[in-house]
Amino acid sequence: MLEVAVVITEGDVAAHFHLPPGRSSGSIPDTRDLWEVLWSHREELTGVAHTHPGGGAPRPSWEDLTTFAGCEAGLGKRLVWWIATRDAMVAFRWTGPSKHDYAGEPVECDVLPHTHWLHQLRALTYGENDGR
Amino acid sequence: MVAEVIPLHQAQVNITWQGANGDLPDPVPYDATDAEIRAWATEAVRAGVPGIVADRRADFSDFVVDRFPANNEVPHNRIFVRPKTPFGRSSLR
Repeated sequence: MLEVAVVITEGDVAAHFHLPPGRSSGSIPDTRDLWEVLWSHREELTGVAHTHPGGGAPRPSWEDLTTFAGCEAGLGKRLVWWIATRDAMVAFRWTGPSKHDYAGEPVECDVLPHTHWLHQLRALTYGENDGR
Repeated sequence: MVAEVIPLHQAQVNITWQGANGDLPDPVPYDATDAEIRAWATEAVRAGVPGIVADRRADFSDFVVDRFPANNEVPHNRIFVRPKTPFGRSSLR
């Protein structure tokens, strides 16, 4: 299992799957490449999803929260930050007042239009057999 | 041109903030620390940088510093202040 991220644009389109060297079962390293993807899609960008190991409702790490805040400050727009596990997904959005205050809302994975990229994200993360 | 006026030991600094992008008017030492560069970026954007609307709330604590040495295509050192992008599993702080 290796964590993966995907950049989502308007229309729930998976614009870029992010599988950088150095990612692990617990982290995805900082890369300029991902920032350049976000910047190049900034007009139509709606959010970024990434995976966590295991199952159950995920919570963002401090590393996640500071990345959410930094990217939104750089882009000048708010995004949705989905985090998926094997059997759950939560959508996090900024609530304030602090720049690192984000709240999550569970996503029904099987009924929403995220399904097509979520299946691929899980397949890339956990392997084809566990990716459904 | 910028390339003609930036000494070898200095660098042009490019900053991204709130969907805009601009260069610091003055070069900085290429070997400045990341903390120094973020501090200069904060001061500059709060006061106003060409291409970026002045923002008194500018805060680059969630940004990183990329450095690119001079090369054949760009004959001066460049520093970019851009948002960090890692994700991690550590516990919520």
